[in-house]
Amino acid sequence: MNSYLHDLPGGTNRKAHLISGVFVALLLAGVFWFGFSRLGYRFAWSTIYEYRLNFLRGYGITLLLSLFALILSLLLGVLFGLGQKSRFLPYRYFSLFYVELIRGTPLLVQILIFFYVIANAAGLNNRFVVGVLIMALFAGAYIAEIIRGGVESIGESQRETARSLGFSPVQTYRYVIFPQVLTRILPSLAGQLASLIKDSSLLSVIAIKEFTMAAREMNANTFSTLEAYVPLAVGYLLLTLPISRLTRLLERKFSYET
Amino acid sequence: MKLELRNLTKTYGPLTVLDRVSLSLEEVHSLVFIGPSGGGKTTLLRLIAGLETPDDGEIIINDHPVEFGSEETLREYRKRIGMVFQAYNLFPHLTALENITLPLVKVHGYAPERAREEALILLERFHLADQAVKKPAQLSGGQKQRIAICRAVAIRPEFLLLDEPTSALDPEYTSEVLDLIGELRSEGMRLILVTHEMGFARQAADYLLFVGDGGIISQGRPEILFGKTGDERVSRFLNKVLKYN
Repeated sequence: MNSYLHDLPGGTNRKAHLISGVFVALLLAGVFWFGFSRLGYRFAWSTIYEYRLNFLRGYGITLLLSLFALILSLLLGVLFGLGQKSRFLPYRYFSLFYVELIRGTPLLVQILIFFYVIANAAGLNNRFVVGVLIMALFAGAYIAEIIRGGVESIGESQRETARSLGFSPVQTYRYVIFPQVLTRILPSLAGQLASLIKDSSLLSVIAIKEFTMAAREMNANTFSTLEAYVPLAVGYLLLTLPISRLTRLLERKFSYET
Repeated sequence: MKLELRNLTKTYGPLTVLDRVSLSLEEVHSLVFIGPSGGGKTTLLRLIAGLETPDDGEIIINDHPVEFGSEETLREYRKRIGMVFQAYNLFPHLTALENITLPLVKVHGYAPERAREEALILLERFHLADQAVKKPAQLSGGQKQRIAICRAVAIRPEFLLLDEPTSALDPEYTSEVLDLIGELRSEGMRLILVTHEMGFARQAADYLLFVGDGGIISQGRPEILFGKTGDERVSRFLNKVLKYN
């Protein structure tokens, strides 16, 4: 913790850090308090208590869906990240089209097209599975770019050294390139995971009963908008804050390379 | 080591780096290439290392031609030689020890324990045992290059190729690397070395090639090449590089 503070601008003055942190928190609280008081909104927190099981179930679905999607998207990311450099041209172009199409269009449109056109034609009815597939496809394109960038950041001299030592191309990737790529891209991957969790909220448009859907349902039934959506924000923060914390930690841990 | 080059040609686009180079050497233990930058000495070394393929011509080592035909045969060839680069090229994610053991285990099929023993013996011998568990970023340039040399000799290569091994070093580290190379040489390791260290070239070479202008301009034993009788281009080059020595 100490070394963490040392590296920050502002130096080692713990008191200054503490005061600044508290100041910003108070400022934010003040802004919100002012906003809500002008609104004259009367919170009815008892409504959310009635919907608590719905929320918890949705939270679980979001977590589970994100987890499966993450694993699948990593596989897609490796497959198409490497594919963009492949000498086998159909594979390369498939990878390029995939990455550009997904990254260039809104997730909402992708969800609707995948659900109503592709999944429907394929006879895929399980919404959870469809949700996992969509999120994996979406995140996979971004991860593909992260992996491509990571592989390209490993200098030609490393490949050449491996070649001169008699490594096969597969061994070169396995023992020389991937271990270095992994440490370099871990922070970006963690960030992508946080995005994946938040972006999965859009799946509520195809009525997957995830976390955001729970809030939408409660809002539709009780018209208590803020009681539904404020806990939503807190719930997502509880997942994404540890991840961004972890990202910082990883960045520090793997900064051995100069 | 017998080394024979026949009409060796290498071009990069419109640039002809080596133009029909031929050479025949019997039993040479340490061969040193000197010459001006961009003259083709590194390219010649890289061809001998099997890292580049010639556009034309042949390299014959100990009566066996290097088979440039396929990547597989080249890989088998590379496994039998050691290569040391100017910029050390250690793998930054591995410790010094792992840099040496990885090729032993993965390419040469050593058991991990045995690879470790062999690597430690080498590190011990060259006074690097204290650095075994350090990552390259924690080592000095001289230490990095000595470990890179250990990595190259650990596989017990038929011969060792060194591409300007001291050019990227601060002057204070040059001698520790040259000492190590000299030690290997006196133990009978066969070397082919590209260097700008004329003093070392003179001392360590059995035979010198002066490479420039796409070919071998001059060649001979050090006392002859560094003598007064040589080619005019050679003496002009030597005058320049030795001016402040």
